[in-house]
Amino acid sequence: MKKGFIFSVAAVALSSATLHAGSFQLNLQGLRQTAMGGSGVAFPWDVSTIFYNPGGLARLNGIQAYAGVFGVSPTVRYVPDNSGDTYAETKRHLSTPFAVYAGGTLSKDSRWALGLGIYTPFGSSANWGNDWTGRFITQSISLQSIYFQPTVSYRINDLISVGAGFVYGTGSVKIKKALPVQDMNETEGQAVLDGKANGVGFNAGVHIKASNNLQFGLSYRSGVRMKVNGGDASFTVPAALATNFPRTAFDATLPLPGILTLGVAAKVTPRLTLQGDLVWAGWKSYDSLKFDFVQNTASLADSKEPRIYRNTLAVRIGGHYEICKQFAVMIGGAYDPTPSNARYVSPDAVDADRFSLSAGLSYAVMDKLSIMAAVNYTTTAGRQVKYEPANFSGAYQIKSLVPAIGVTYKF
Amino acid sequence: MKASYIPLIAAAAMLASCKPTIKGVTPSSGEANFSYYVAIGNSLTAGYADGSLYRSGQENSYPAMLGKQFMTVGGGEFRQPLLPGNAGWPSPKRVLGYTTSCDGVTSLGVKLYGGASDTSGSSTNISGQGPFNNLGVPGIRCVDYTVAGYAAIAQALAGVGYAARMYPHPATDRPIDIAAASNPTFFTMWLGSNDVLGYATNGGEGSGTGGAMPTDISTTAAFEASYNAVVDAMTLKGAKGVLINIPDVTTIPYFTTIPGRGLVLSTPTQVAALNAAYAPLGITFTLGANAFIIQDPAAPGGLRQIKSNEYLLLTLPQDSLKCGGWGSVKPIPKKYVLDETEVGYVRSATNTFNEIIRSAAIRKGLGYVDAHSYLGTLQSGIRFNGVTLTPTFVSGGAFSLDGVHLTPKGYALMANEIIRVINSTYKSSVPQVDINNYNGILFP
Repeated sequence: MKKGFIFSVAAVALSSATLHAGSFQLNLQGLRQTAMGGSGVAFPWDVSTIFYNPGGLARLNGIQAYAGVFGVSPTVRYVPDNSGDTYAETKRHLSTPFAVYAGGTLSKDSRWALGLGIYTPFGSSANWGNDWTGRFITQSISLQSIYFQPTVSYRINDLISVGAGFVYGTGSVKIKKALPVQDMNETEGQAVLDGKANGVGFNAGVHIKASNNLQFGLSYRSGVRMKVNGGDASFTVPAALATNFPRTAFDATLPLPGILTLGVAAKVTPRLTLQGDLVWAGWKSYDSLKFDFVQNTASLADSKEPRIYRNTLAVRIGGHYEICKQFAVMIGGAYDPTPSNARYVSPDAVDADRFSLSAGLSYAVMDKLSIMAAVNYTTTAGRQVKYEPANFSGAYQIKSLVPAIGVTYKF
Repeated sequence: MKASYIPLIAAAAMLASCKPTIKGVTPSSGEANFSYYVAIGNSLTAGYADGSLYRSGQENSYPAMLGKQFMTVGGGEFRQPLLPGNAGWPSPKRVLGYTTSCDGVTSLGVKLYGGASDTSGSSTNISGQGPFNNLGVPGIRCVDYTVAGYAAIAQALAGVGYAARMYPHPATDRPIDIAAASNPTFFTMWLGSNDVLGYATNGGEGSGTGGAMPTDISTTAAFEASYNAVVDAMTLKGAKGVLINIPDVTTIPYFTTIPGRGLVLSTPTQVAALNAAYAPLGITFTLGANAFIIQDPAAPGGLRQIKSNEYLLLTLPQDSLKCGGWGSVKPIPKKYVLDETEVGYVRSATNTFNEIIRSAAIRKGLGYVDAHSYLGTLQSGIRFNGVTLTPTFVSGGAFSLDGVHLTPKGYALMANEIIRVINSTYKSSVPQVDINNYNGILFP
């Protein structure tokens, strides 16, 4: 007996509900920068410049090491249309994106610098629970990724320094959703998609030191097409329908966009530096999300989910104030417009225009060793959206509070 | 204030609020009063499904769903004349299961529930447990409402006491009086389907132009008089409500599942044999799909091929088609066919009755739920929260295994359409039902 409906897998969202940035794009790669609204292309504060602007690596004097970890546990609330005052929320789950960098100039006055960055540009976990109203679209989604970026940087002169890194990304995704087929005990079916992804890209930047008090930066992180090849798709369905839902492999590609950042950092007083970044993300390339199942049946068809994302321009600003030589405080804010289209927002890819505030401090415990701490608060307004392919309408709101801690060591 | 304090204050402010705050619309009753809701109707209202009435079907009736939603806007308990068991009364409900047909093929199909019978006590009169908010009676027609002793008559004619177990005095009560006595502040009325469906599900063997038997289409005059009388009785004390019209019965899987062109010939020998047999009548066959042969007294030889605008009933015995030569060497008896003329009578009566219903709604300022139009959109699939429902038998998820009545998911769709009209008519904010809380078809 054939079941006439078509299985369709909704978005595999990368990030979404987590971190302050438009949809997939993450910016929790450096403690100080996070404390300053996520800005950081124009000033190489520490070796995390490998991420923010590879051109700044050659500005560092000597080798530095760096490690930081972030505690991410956002809450997304969904209020369905026309349903009174009911709502659903994602369950609390702590993700811990991290960043480790090492590198710097080969000797004190060398123009060349080398480095390696290992960071997690996206990682999210949204668990709506198995029984919520949107379970036929998503029950849970869990994404992790790690990028490896070996980087080289060359200080052309006092004015200009350039750098570039090769990016190798590896990640994993696990999606669970319910299937609207029931057995004689009224139990619903379930699909579990599990896959590993990888992709390559690059990260390049130019750093301009106009004077001791004025610096500029321009960086471009290329798009990375994270490909899932041969992920595992398994289904739990009533025995009578088992042949319609065979265990099979699937392929999918998740196109992460290219990011172009332009920024300025100005030392306005001996103790106070202000900086600001404009971040352009080429999301338009994310037109739809395709899932290709190796085996297809009347119920299991390859799916093409519309996304229709648009390019975005985000603003990040921050300030760094040296209270004394060992101790500095930072503050910042950002506005990240969402690339997502209000007609195609599904519960595993929730996004809205994000506003964030952040603050932090750094303290030099010893001459070479500093501890950094930051906290970021991101919120969105309630956003009325629909996921049209499933006729799922309601309003979402995201809030997250991210504490972070890190250390940096100068050799 | 020292600049260095600013980050600390910012951090404190952030910690203060980390939960989303958006909320939905608070339910409100608007201009309506939902404190005592009564549902009037037939099997669709009673929660009949899978060819029988059983307890969990009743618990998943659309009035029970509405009653639950009305509780958020001042409604009280919703009481139904629940049966004791789930096997189905008086005959077992239909379930999916594996059966072996006459040609030796075992496949998934519809069979009767074979579990233990738990229907003992179903015929006991429980009117003392009332008053009931759900007054739906399977089989009742609009024209039956003014008939004194309807419950006793129905029991004698059909052998089933759906009304007899609910009414205080089955031998003398008129359904219209039972309805009026319920004294609702709000009501839904889905009446009239059986006034055409009785004729249609009997293959049009009764009178298509108007008659009194359950297998006839009701006369327009009798329908109009009875319908308006019931509406007047329900609104006598100022109750508000909605009237629900009659769906297009030819779009339900009871009529659309067995295809007219279901005679599949796979060998030239079969084709030649049939061509030879039917040559005198000028009927020809080809390889592949052909139209079934049906009985038609008006046709030459008393038989002809079925036309594309005619329908075969779901009750057509499959074994007779597969092994008994029906539709090929023997004509399908006309009682399993709804032919062009009969379809015309059904459609015409449906339109006439729906116009009466709509006029009554306008006349009394009541809401009007166009189920005819809404269930028509089911053809191309209705999607809700990731589930797509269609009228396809079994796999579509909206219709139960009798091909006429809905699954709980299907009834939930209707409940939401009724709520939509109530909110629009009475400026209320009754929350929708989550159709995913309700079952579709269960598979072994």
